[in-house]
Amino acid sequence: MAGAFDFVPAIAALPLLAFVISLFFGQYLPKRGAEAGIIATAGSLALSIWTALTVAGITGSETTYNENLYTWIVGQDAGAVTLQLGVLVDPLAALMLVIVSLIAFLVHVFSLGYMNDEGETGLPRYYAGLGLFTASMLGFVFSNNLLMAFMFFELVGLCSYLLIGFWFRDEGPPSAAKKAFLVTRFGDYFFLIGVVGVFATFGTGLFAPLTEGGSTVAQSFPQLAEEALADGAGAAGVDTFGYDASTWFTVLGLLVLGGVIGKSAQFPLHTWLPDAMEGPTPVSALIHAATMVAAGVYLVARMYGFYLLSPTALAVIALVGGFTALFAATMGVVKQELKQVLAYSTISQYGYMMLALGAGGYTAAVFHLTTHAVFKALLFLGAGSVIIAMHHEENMWTMGGLKDRMPVTYYTFLSGSLALAGIVPFAGFWSKDEVLYEALIHGMGTSDTIGTLLLLGYGMGLLAVFFTAFYTFRMVFLTFHGDARTDAASHATENRWNVKFPLAVLGIGAATVGFINMVPVKELTGAEIDYLHQWLNGDLGATASHHYSDLLHDVAHVSAADIGPLAPGAVSLLLALAGLGTAWKLYNVPEPVEHTDKLGGVKTLLMHNYYQDEYQVWLAQGVTVPIARAADKFDQGVVDGVVNGVSSVSLFTGSRMRRIQSGVVSNYATLMTLSLVLLLLVFVVVGGDV
Amino acid sequence: MAIETQYYLLLSAAVFCIGVYGILTRSNALLFLMSVELMLNAANINLVAFSFQHGNLTGQVFALFVMALAAAEVAVGIGIILVLYRNFEDIDVTKAATMRW
Repeated sequence: MAGAFDFVPAIAALPLLAFVISLFFGQYLPKRGAEAGIIATAGSLALSIWTALTVAGITGSETTYNENLYTWIVGQDAGAVTLQLGVLVDPLAALMLVIVSLIAFLVHVFSLGYMNDEGETGLPRYYAGLGLFTASMLGFVFSNNLLMAFMFFELVGLCSYLLIGFWFRDEGPPSAAKKAFLVTRFGDYFFLIGVVGVFATFGTGLFAPLTEGGSTVAQSFPQLAEEALADGAGAAGVDTFGYDASTWFTVLGLLVLGGVIGKSAQFPLHTWLPDAMEGPTPVSALIHAATMVAAGVYLVARMYGFYLLSPTALAVIALVGGFTALFAATMGVVKQELKQVLAYSTISQYGYMMLALGAGGYTAAVFHLTTHAVFKALLFLGAGSVIIAMHHEENMWTMGGLKDRMPVTYYTFLSGSLALAGIVPFAGFWSKDEVLYEALIHGMGTSDTIGTLLLLGYGMGLLAVFFTAFYTFRMVFLTFHGDARTDAASHATENRWNVKFPLAVLGIGAATVGFINMVPVKELTGAEIDYLHQWLNGDLGATASHHYSDLLHDVAHVSAADIGPLAPGAVSLLLALAGLGTAWKLYNVPEPVEHTDKLGGVKTLLMHNYYQDEYQVWLAQGVTVPIARAADKFDQGVVDGVVNGVSSVSLFTGSRMRRIQSGVVSNYATLMTLSLVLLLLVFVVVGGDV
Repeated sequence: MAIETQYYLLLSAAVFCIGVYGILTRSNALLFLMSVELMLNAANINLVAFSFQHGNLTGQVFALFVMALAAAEVAVGIGIILVLYRNFEDIDVTKAATMRW
């Protein structure tokens, strides 16, 4: 009997089919292709849930699945690499499949309200893009090797380009799309080198070992790396190109991390993400919650067994994450547009996930990824609902007082905001608390530099909690509270069911999804309610979280201090409440004024995003262009010069030699005769044996 | 009594030289054709003479082929000369000097 795992490829194939249908037949359908997308993502969601139930052991005996399904290129020589495409389903992948297909489904429904009801044109193209986007992300999630992951990773980037630039007739979106594509490509370049490096080093890109009847038939690269560190590179059959194994693995890890930093919008490659707000709002929701940005963090989680072997890489991840969390949160404080605030909050929240991964908190990172997907999709869709009601006006200072006119949007948005700010008992509290807790205990428990760096990351993450709560509620108060500041705001009306339904689903989710992993409550009551911990500790040994804890302790030498989760949780909750309170005091008034003006020069700095764009533009125009020009000169002058010089000799000789061709037949005959005579004379003089 | 082979060769060389001389000095296309004909037949004389000396018929058969070839060549040549005349109203080869670089 065919089980759920046989249908896993269909999870990605369904949205792909929707892509084809929307693209070619969308204009003949009543909703311009939305039907195909909604049905396909609903099907994917159903299959994903079935898969998750199977992984949980409810609907079948096999709880994990890892098979190569298609051989792409067969390595001919001994030791040559064979490239294969396959499917890996373990608790992490199953969880992510459910999240991605759920968000994609709701975004498709929401698009009916945001795009169809607003009378947009080009909808078949839009729904085709959404379908392909969903398909590539789902394919990325169940990839069983690094190369396949890379291919889908690139497809995700391509789709984000197509969708951000959906309104290509305006000025902003095409440029934002190009920026998103180029900046993430810059990171992906390192990722590609990393992929080649992994294949050259290990001869395989498998994330988890392939087993057949209980015995391993193909080893995974994290496993080989582990063996190489334990027994030496030669014993494990690993080629480290003359470097020390641990050094080389750090290099590979950091190369792959380049792609992660680009996609997950971490410092310094975060600049594309705020610009990507030019795309339609449902697309932003999809990009931020479930697909593009999540892909980066998911990749680190996917090959976490490899990163754990390199303490240096872990420290870099933690530091980048902690810094990004704080850095982006401060910029969110001064933004005036609804979606801009959300964009910076996304960067900041993914910073938390990176911090957790760097600190060894694998479960915490996956937990935050889950809760963030729910509440950030909710916030974006809520923002989309407000934008529809405000007739595509995004500046918060033109809003105000929407609370009474749009109750469904308000209460769901509030639920998402409380989750984002990390107020108990909403989802974000539990996950953010666990991220910070993991960073703290591992920072305290490790004595050397890495411990210090983890504590530094923890400090920045903790500080960011305050800013997060502040900018979140500044946004809520400016948008929904106080008096209506414009006509549009005083005449705003609630939207139809296709907007309210996704908001309601996600609003309930944002309030409750944190209950899957209440570690502090477990500590208090002793009840075994840390379901996510148990979930990720699944059967497949190589990717289970207990294996990761062993590695963290034994190889990376990061150990946990014995601190209860209550006190750190209380600290972060107090900070969040302080941020909320400050925002309440300053902005929850009928006629709010811009208090951030008092920041003076700091505000200018923040409004200009720390001049990140400026220096990157300078890097492009002031450094790269002159180098490219010099290289062009060298190419044109020296390389082409040599070639042209050689050919000009021929040309010159030819132009002189052709003069003997007079066109007069008699001359040719004379020349031939004379030459023949000359040849005969030579034979006579030299002799016959030349 | 048969004539010695070397006399045939002398005759052949003389005919060949006349042909070469004709090609080098004349500018009339018809004379060109005739001169080429002379040179070909000089070769034929050689073929037949050597064939006779060696006592087999290979050379004579060859001479027949050369004659057929010469006939074909003349046919082509006459065609060219006709076109030449149509285009230049003349059959002076030095006038048709535009087929070059």
